[in-house]
Amino acid sequence: MKRMMVAAGLALATLAVPALPVAAQEVARVRDGVTITPGQTRIMIMQPNIKVGSMSTGGLFEPNAEWTATARKLIDAQVRQQLAGQGITLVAQPEIAAGSDGPQNPVQQYRALFPVVAKAVMEFQFFLGNRLPTKKRPGVFDYTLGSGIASMPGAQDADYALFMFTEDAYGSAGRKAAQLLMAGLFGVAIAPGVHVGYAGLVDLKTGDLVWLNADPEMGGDVRETDGAVKRVGQLLANFPGTKLTAPAPAPKK
Amino acid sequence: MKRHILIAAAAATLVAGATPAAAANRLIVPNVAVAVAKSPMMVQADREWNRLGARPGPLAETWTLDGDVLNRLDFYGGLLAGTTLFREVDRRNRPLPKLRADMLPTDIPTLFEQSYRIAQNTSLFTIDSVAPATLGGANGVRFTYSFVRQDEDVTRKGEAVAAMVGGKLWLISFEAPALHYFDAGIASARTIIASAKLPGK
Repeated sequence: MKRMMVAAGLALATLAVPALPVAAQEVARVRDGVTITPGQTRIMIMQPNIKVGSMSTGGLFEPNAEWTATARKLIDAQVRQQLAGQGITLVAQPEIAAGSDGPQNPVQQYRALFPVVAKAVMEFQFFLGNRLPTKKRPGVFDYTLGSGIASMPGAQDADYALFMFTEDAYGSAGRKAAQLLMAGLFGVAIAPGVHVGYAGLVDLKTGDLVWLNADPEMGGDVRETDGAVKRVGQLLANFPGTKLTAPAPAPKK
Repeated sequence: MKRHILIAAAAATLVAGATPAAAANRLIVPNVAVAVAKSPMMVQADREWNRLGARPGPLAETWTLDGDVLNRLDFYGGLLAGTTLFREVDRRNRPLPKLRADMLPTDIPTLFEQSYRIAQNTSLFTIDSVAPATLGGANGVRFTYSFVRQDEDVTRKGEAVAAMVGGKLWLISFEAPALHYFDAGIASARTIIASAKLPGK
């Protein structure tokens, strides 16, 4: 019996790990000297990396194709609407022909590299406790996707490329039950799901990352129109050269 | 019952707080010889690097320019027979291969590949070339490799130089995404590898 209780404690502890508090960190940075001029600057909207699914009781991500398709459609429409509303000239990512969308496709390669660069920025620059010494100096925001991006198809038709990544895992019924059990028995909160998102702007001549916005507390249910409006508002908050700001937090009930 | 709940709650607290507090990241200044990987191996950089507080193993150390997911230079300082390249990730089901004191230089790429396949949980790993080389004056091997992590679509390239000296493994490897980052960092990595000095050599 004792062994079972301890095992249950450890299992619940594992569930509780994602609920650790977020340590102090920056959420956005703009590279010095960046000029975005509405009406002049052309921005290519890269197809966002969007993953939507559910989170099992044990914390595993289970993708949901229908939710992902809905979120992709809603987020894409919102991004275009919100940026166009600021006078930004939008350029579509070049179509990728069927059969040539594998990992060797240059557009796909840069879409794959962006989350890795963003992860490095979040972990080694934004996260103050782990910032690299070479990234601590005042004014330093020095990350790149490489100057080779200038030869990516379509790069000559725009000044910057906007990359976005969102991942949403909504808690399953079992996880919600575990959440209530943990709160009731031990007073410990477990994360009901995961909602991660970030957006970055890349100079299409130099490859330099000129802006990254990575608020770790993303809101908005991306499966619904209102939620997508909020999510995109957060992703594009303080977009350089615009008056876009983060949406007001929902009133606490 | 109350005692059991206390044990469970204590376990929860312990597990939640079990993430080790890594030492701070440190600046590596150019043109100064430094000992690496808690070992007598000395190297000298030609530019600024960052030494990560988090280590891949007890006798290992990682340097990076922009973050370990974008470029990492790993030093393994005299690993003993019976130990593993990395810390075990799943000892019971997928144990890492153990070093042997009688390993030949040509055995090192195989051990490296097997360790990566397990530690990175990927089947997409290949050794692309193997050639004789020296590390710190000791005869050894230079090999190149490429792999894709399970949760990413980015191909990473790597290059390593290693030698067995006195039954111990000494190894330095550099790896980065093939797109931009490998070419941007490999020259400095090779300079550092060429500067390595091993004890007794």
